Amino acid sequence: MHYLLYFLRKHYFYFLFLALEVLSLVLLFNYNAYQSSAVADVSNGFAGSVMNFSSGVSQYFSLARVNRILAEDNSRLHSNRPEAFYKADTNTFFRGDTLYRLEYKYISAKVISNSTNKRNNFLMLNKGWRNGIQNHMGVIIGQRIVGQVVSVSEHFCWVMSVLNKDSRISGKFKKNDQLVNVEWAGGNYRKGDVKEIPKHVAIRKGDLIITSGNSDIFPEGLEIGTISDFTIAQDENFNYASITFSTDFNSLSYVEVVIDMMHQEKEMLQNSFKSNTPN
Amino acid sequence: MTIIFLKNIGRFVFLVLLQVLILNNIQLSGYINPYFYIYFILLLPFETPRWLLLLSSFILGIAIDAFTNSFGLNAAACVLLAFIRPFVINAISTGTEFMIGHSPSLRNQGMKWFAYYAIILVLVHHFALFFLEIFRLTEFFHTLLRVILSSIFTLFLVFIAEYLSFARDK
Repeated sequence: MHYLLYFLRKHYFYFLFLALEVLSLVLLFNYNAYQSSAVADVSNGFAGSVMNFSSGVSQYFSLARVNRILAEDNSRLHSNRPEAFYKADTNTFFRGDTLYRLEYKYISAKVISNSTNKRNNFLMLNKGWRNGIQNHMGVIIGQRIVGQVVSVSEHFCWVMSVLNKDSRISGKFKKNDQLVNVEWAGGNYRKGDVKEIPKHVAIRKGDLIITSGNSDIFPEGLEIGTISDFTIAQDENFNYASITFSTDFNSLSYVEVVIDMMHQEKEMLQNSFKSNTPN
Repeated sequence: MTIIFLKNIGRFVFLVLLQVLILNNIQLSGYINPYFYIYFILLLPFETPRWLLLLSSFILGIAIDAFTNSFGLNAAACVLLAFIRPFVINAISTGTEFMIGHSPSLRNQGMKWFAYYAIILVLVHHFALFFLEIFRLTEFFHTLLRVILSSIFTLFLVFIAEYLSFARDK
């Protein structure tokens, strides 16, 4: 016993190093970004308030561009108003109509921290569960995708950017609805990879890839990007292409969080299907 | 003693803020990010107790991680850096360089000593950091290029900081 204590004291530097290194690695590989824990709440709150201050300064530099995006959005919304349509017949539909129900709701949020230079990039937004944000909600800017909420505290949330090792976006060709997956391989933040394009689909440069709406995260039809280059694989069943993202991830200042009003219903249906299927 | 302690705490806060508010936003062609905050560990005084060396490096890493939502990543790389620091100092020193109460610096230890010291430690830290972040070997050479380019940028900042303090002390 005495000898053991002596041994520990003599080599404490190695043991302390091992303990701290193991603690770090456990944190790194077990920190579950999908769960908002008490630790996340405290650290997000502190880091959030510092970042909030910093972005309060830096947002002045992007006002011109934000203005332009808002103006574009405005004109798009104006053209969707009932007054913008010529009444071809008397059958006009209103929101209160039983034929239409609100499926998606959008919450505007300010980006207070963002990165594009890491292998795994995250954004922090200034809205949290107080504002109705929950995990797995999609984040968009205008008609383009940004990422997915992975951690929520009271006033802030972390968003996993499309520029992340774990990000996998379900998309499709706009021209023929063929389903594909879009990933990011690191490096250039403007370029992504399109995986698993079936052999029979003819690919052309400039083809638009949009969200498929299959994943419950993004509504259908948001822009992901356009095909910039492709390879026809000889021996495999799928072709691969690279894509230029429509979103400029390096200049995000205001984004919108998508709230799927029917998420619960969809989830319930899925669960009841799973529990009824005998394996 | 107290002054050295307070000086280091001030440096800690300043470098964390500099890293998360400014340097994390710098990126050149998707490859190069400087991680200048480890300058804090490089500059800890020679006679810092080893447990304090490890513990302060761990806290430094966790502080940076809190701002980038990467818990454990920077902490692991910093603890590794703090662990090898005494061995590097022993390996490259001839025994005459140390002065009680001093930090490693370009002025006291000379260009050659400090260059070895900084290059080895920065490379080890960046290597651990980038490969832990990726945690796969498929992008090995791509990641290695990022390690080398980012290390050069970080070292550039370290030497500028050293020359600035050199000029101020003179």
